[in-house]
Amino acid sequence: MTPPGPGRLPPADEPLDDTDFGVLGDIRELFEAVDPMPADLPERIRFSLALRDLEVEVARLAEEDQLTVAARGKEQARTITFDSDSLTIMIRIDANRDGTVRVDGWLAPPQRRQVEIKTSADPLTTASDAQGRFAFVRVPRGTAQFIVHPAQPSSGDTRSVVTPALII
Amino acid sequence: MDEPRPVTVRANKPDRAARMADLLSAARAGSEDALGQIVNELSPLLWQVARSAGLSQGDAEDVLQTVWMRLVTHLDSINDAGALTGWLVTTTKREAWRVRAAGRKLLPADQDVFADLPDKGPGSEEQVILEDQRRELWAAIGMLSRRCQELLRIMAFAPRPDYATVAAALGMRVGSIGPTRGRCLAKLRALLAGGPDGSLA
Repeated sequence: MTPPGPGRLPPADEPLDDTDFGVLGDIRELFEAVDPMPADLPERIRFSLALRDLEVEVARLAEEDQLTVAARGKEQARTITFDSDSLTIMIRIDANRDGTVRVDGWLAPPQRRQVEIKTSADPLTTASDAQGRFAFVRVPRGTAQFIVHPAQPSSGDTRSVVTPALII
Repeated sequence: MDEPRPVTVRANKPDRAARMADLLSAARAGSEDALGQIVNELSPLLWQVARSAGLSQGDAEDVLQTVWMRLVTHLDSINDAGALTGWLVTTTKREAWRVRAAGRKLLPADQDVFADLPDKGPGSEEQVILEDQRRELWAAIGMLSRRCQELLRIMAFAPRPDYATVAAALGMRVGSIGPTRGRCLAKLRALLAGGPDGSLA
């Protein structure tokens, strides 16, 4: 690259002027065209924020895999792992024939907890067993968020663990 | 001109600073609607922060969700709109690094968005001129260092009143009066002034 001619370079230490704002506006338009944020992302974020409990522990998506299930032909199952400070939540999602999905989950360390799925329809609730296993047999497709409720709601010694919203 | 994407809120209205301050205090008081409007307003900026850190689209989506969920537990410690933008940018960068360090689906360097600008096909004369200008800008940005590309891309999405905070969150020097043009923008302007045939190697 040839350096620009002498005198061409606008001083770097000057305050931003209208030309600068114009160039930045053009850059914004360029990236809005080339790498736009998915249009539905803010909606999904608002969905996951609707649960405004300051006492929650936020789980992060740690791993996601697609596996082809031989027994079911070409259908794919997804496994997703969420990690929080106190809990690991493993989820497996399989398609049902009726267009819904089956969700099998495991909590580690294993423990009995109330587990809820917030969906775009009504929320569904189940409980994990002593091995930490839980299952939702029929869940509507769409946006879903998992909430693992405290073991003893009244005692307050465990917090709810919530995952980010995902599309199932 | 009408903006087709509803999530893109023009950030430079003069009353924006006052509106954001109102939204922030309403959100701190527990208004879901106010928080939702803040999400709409600032997510496009955070998207560019996450994507320019080299995350895949899916990872960038996860990081944004995580950042906003963490914000809810931090709202009480954030006192003004500038601090809010700064906290969000810093946290998004940190989360993006964490995801990268975990070695997940990182984009190979040659597959990032600085591939060829997609061809939009034939259009009106006005569109062709616009396309030419875009290509020129694209080529000029592509000649800058990765660091400058990242900075300018993120600054382009920063709300004007929050420039100084965002610049500081990105490690740029901020002058005593306010943000300065900086090395990256000065260089880009020189490249653009040099014309398409001059310095393009």
